[in-house]
Amino acid sequence: MTSLGSEELRDRAPVADGADPPTALLRDVVGRASQRCRYAEARWVDRRAEELGVVNGHPRELAQESSRGVGIRVLAGSGWGLSATADVSPAGLGRALDRALAIAGTQPAGPELSLPPVRPAIGQWSSPCREDPSTISLETKLALLVEADAALRTDRRVVRSEAECLSVVTRRALVTSDGTCCGQTVTECGAGIRAFAVEDGDVQVRSYPGAHGAGVAAAGWEHVRALDLPGQAPRVGEEAVALLSAPACPSGRKAVILHDEQLALQIHESIGHALELDRILLGEASYAGTSWVEAGDIGGLRYGSDLLEVTADATLAGGLGTFAWDDEGVPAARRTLIAGGVLEGALSDRTSAAALGLQASGGCARADGFARQPIVRMTNVSLEPGEAGTLEDLIADTSDGLYLEGNRSWSIDDRRLHFQFGTEMAREIKRGRLGRLYRNASYAGVTPTFWGSLDAVCSAKAWRLWGVLNCGKGEPGQIMHVSHGAAPARFRDTEVGVA
Amino acid sequence: MSGEPLRHEEALVDYAERALEHLAGEGQVTLVHERSLTSRFARSRPTQATEVDDLSVHLLCVRDGQTGSAVINSLDDGQLAAAAGRALAAAQAGAGAGPGDYPGLADPAPPPEYGGHDPRTARLDPAEAGAALEAAFEEAARSGLEAFGIWSAGEVTTAIASTTGVHVEQAVTDAYLKVICRDAGGRSGFASDAAVASAALDARGVARRAAAKVSSQDAVALAPGEYTVVLAPEAVGTLLEFLAGLAFNGLAHVEGRGALAGRLGTQVAHPEINLADAPRHPHTLPRSFDAEGVPKRPLPLIQDGVAYRVAHDRRSAARAGGGTASTGHALAPGGDLGGPRPTNLVLAGGGCSGERELMEGIERGLYVTRLWYVNVVQDGQTLLTGVTRDGTFLIEDGELTRPVRGQRFTDSVLGLLRRTEALTAGVRLVCEGDFYGRRFATGVLCPALRAHGFRITGTAPDG
Repeated sequence: MTSLGSEELRDRAPVADGADPPTALLRDVVGRASQRCRYAEARWVDRRAEELGVVNGHPRELAQESSRGVGIRVLAGSGWGLSATADVSPAGLGRALDRALAIAGTQPAGPELSLPPVRPAIGQWSSPCREDPSTISLETKLALLVEADAALRTDRRVVRSEAECLSVVTRRALVTSDGTCCGQTVTECGAGIRAFAVEDGDVQVRSYPGAHGAGVAAAGWEHVRALDLPGQAPRVGEEAVALLSAPACPSGRKAVILHDEQLALQIHESIGHALELDRILLGEASYAGTSWVEAGDIGGLRYGSDLLEVTADATLAGGLGTFAWDDEGVPAARRTLIAGGVLEGALSDRTSAAALGLQASGGCARADGFARQPIVRMTNVSLEPGEAGTLEDLIADTSDGLYLEGNRSWSIDDRRLHFQFGTEMAREIKRGRLGRLYRNASYAGVTPTFWGSLDAVCSAKAWRLWGVLNCGKGEPGQIMHVSHGAAPARFRDTEVGVA
Repeated sequence: MSGEPLRHEEALVDYAERALEHLAGEGQVTLVHERSLTSRFARSRPTQATEVDDLSVHLLCVRDGQTGSAVINSLDDGQLAAAAGRALAAAQAGAGAGPGDYPGLADPAPPPEYGGHDPRTARLDPAEAGAALEAAFEEAARSGLEAFGIWSAGEVTTAIASTTGVHVEQAVTDAYLKVICRDAGGRSGFASDAAVASAALDARGVARRAAAKVSSQDAVALAPGEYTVVLAPEAVGTLLEFLAGLAFNGLAHVEGRGALAGRLGTQVAHPEINLADAPRHPHTLPRSFDAEGVPKRPLPLIQDGVAYRVAHDRRSAARAGGGTASTGHALAPGGDLGGPRPTNLVLAGGGCSGERELMEGIERGLYVTRLWYVNVVQDGQTLLTGVTRDGTFLIEDGELTRPVRGQRFTDSVLGLLRRTEALTAGVRLVCEGDFYGRRFATGVLCPALRAHGFRITGTAPDG
């Protein structure tokens, strides 16, 4: 078993209903494929998800979803072909292989691709999980959500209260014609609450711990317990109601302090996506877009201020972008993307690395289930902690500004350059203290200018890992779970009140 | 049924009926079988090609107004029985917390015959995809450009069986092609086709239209402010898709969060705006029933600018009370957590012969081909933000003159529909074509429109 980091990892018992990886079948089909194409891989994925929700006091969305199947991807000549099937039998995989080869064979001819070498991945790995979510009864989970949901409804103006929890166990097996044969199990778990308050046609919302699955981690039920949803719910409901009577966020240019959850999304949109090598090389121009960064910028481009230190770390405990090997069998690693504000690296898979002539893939190939092919995705892209102490220290160090918390809207252009974010709430900062509450807060900027205005990052004790569950990319669309580490940070001279 | 592929001679709904036998008490089984093929390309080269053949079996249990569900992708009897047990346990756990607000499963009603299936498209011939890519590459090359995009086609069969007697099945096909033509300087143009039949996709024509939107001139930036705008159908469709969720979601409406809460029967748009959900329109992607097996019928949403109706599933209709019935807009068995929404929007065309006529008389304005990364800023105000992409131009004295950089807009959809001045007579089916999760192709049939006061709030420094 491969071990990542210092935390002890445990392997899982085989699943009782025949869900063990069909390794022999995968080896067989890849063996047959190898005689008919330049490269082949068979990826088996078994995914089990449970989502529970309580809305306005009523249990909703008590749903369990499982899927299992194999995606066979081949490179024949210059063309790729992937065929995905839920029929995990020798005949089913044989048919899928034939289809994958037929698809690759009918692609218009292009220049041949030479994939960079990869050392065969052999072994098994499981993510840390102290309290298996499947051992917690539905009744226990529902009771927690019902209690939290009820505590959100502090006022008749809270027209909708939501409490939800999620657990996902994903097992993968990968066999490639390069000799890789590995298996992984990842357990994800999390929860969150949200209150909608309405008055005179105005809708205000507050969430905890944040939007987009911010409260989900690669962990067990212990992670949900630690969130203390019932304890946080009254504050969340009260803040949603308070926003109804708060003045609108003023317009202008100010210093802003971003709460680390909002900062996580800022990193995601304006650094993570911008540094995906397939985007940089125009491979995603038809959908997700390109990047303002060019391949030649790596190693010299000033991305932000000297305080900007960014890593992509697929070995980070608890991260939704943590694994032992990516979906091309490339081992997980921690890599520097930006050091001292200067661009040092990019996120890559074998195809994009080959296109740029790199010696090795950056290990960022990830696929959403068995029916999608691996593409360049973020792992855990994080802003490293600084030396500005706690959030309170940073506020105390700010004479005039805004504190922004809780993502409400997000948008960035197709080159990841011009962005606009809305937050659930803002607080005025005057002479080092938090002042009045503002609603409908927003800020906008241009990526290198904004990161260039970074002048303080809180210290390691304020640094947290936030989940993002809705990262969309690829055609057909793929949803990826990633995490971002961040501590609150301050940006000078930022345009606010833009919406 | 273990491990066996579906037999084509057997109706999917019969599989659903057999799966229903595993459910104890009130329940519904929904089977969705997807077969699809998507070929991507970039820089006039094929990059990825994905074929999917997969099935979702959704088992829904109802107990005391509470629902519990389990979804698997197998017809194996053992797995079905286990999934049925999980669905029942979930519903019982919900019922243990008190009675729920689900009004019960739909009664059977024969679905209308709306068509929407093309047997040739259902063959998913990779050679057809390859030929389309070749044609797009050639056409782009004629203009000295590179082509980027996708060709995608799918056949999706949906079958529902329930203990109340619902027994329905529909197979639909859809096909989508988009091409972005791009020059070495990064200037780009977009065009797309969508239809029930892949034969209707005109790869050369789409590539030609995309290439025509690539200007050799340097792009200019506009200062923030309000502009008269001509929105091409792709841009109109994107805005209407967001409006569907913000204004016509019956659940948000009854909770007071919807943009039309308290505004039905009032003028919310220009009198020329007539918007409906039209699932049987011959030029849309027809659907006969929703995820609860309720037949879909045309639903007028805005008539002559007056807000008329919102969409309901069974749960939101029950919440609305007063005899409100589902309009056939459930997005998931038992109703989606977020509520119902229209998926076959049709905005009626107006009196202008085309986009050129829309531009007539505009002294200085903006032409927008498509919008990108649009998101909601404020729900109740239908306030959105996003950027323009792949073909934004300055209109001067009624003519397209210079390309414009991608611009950020922040504006209200209902506000734009109020400020609408004219619509083209011709309408086009526009799709997003991104197909996250199980393929569920939707599109908006709409014209191009001209509106004043389109609010530009920013721009990137170059490109």
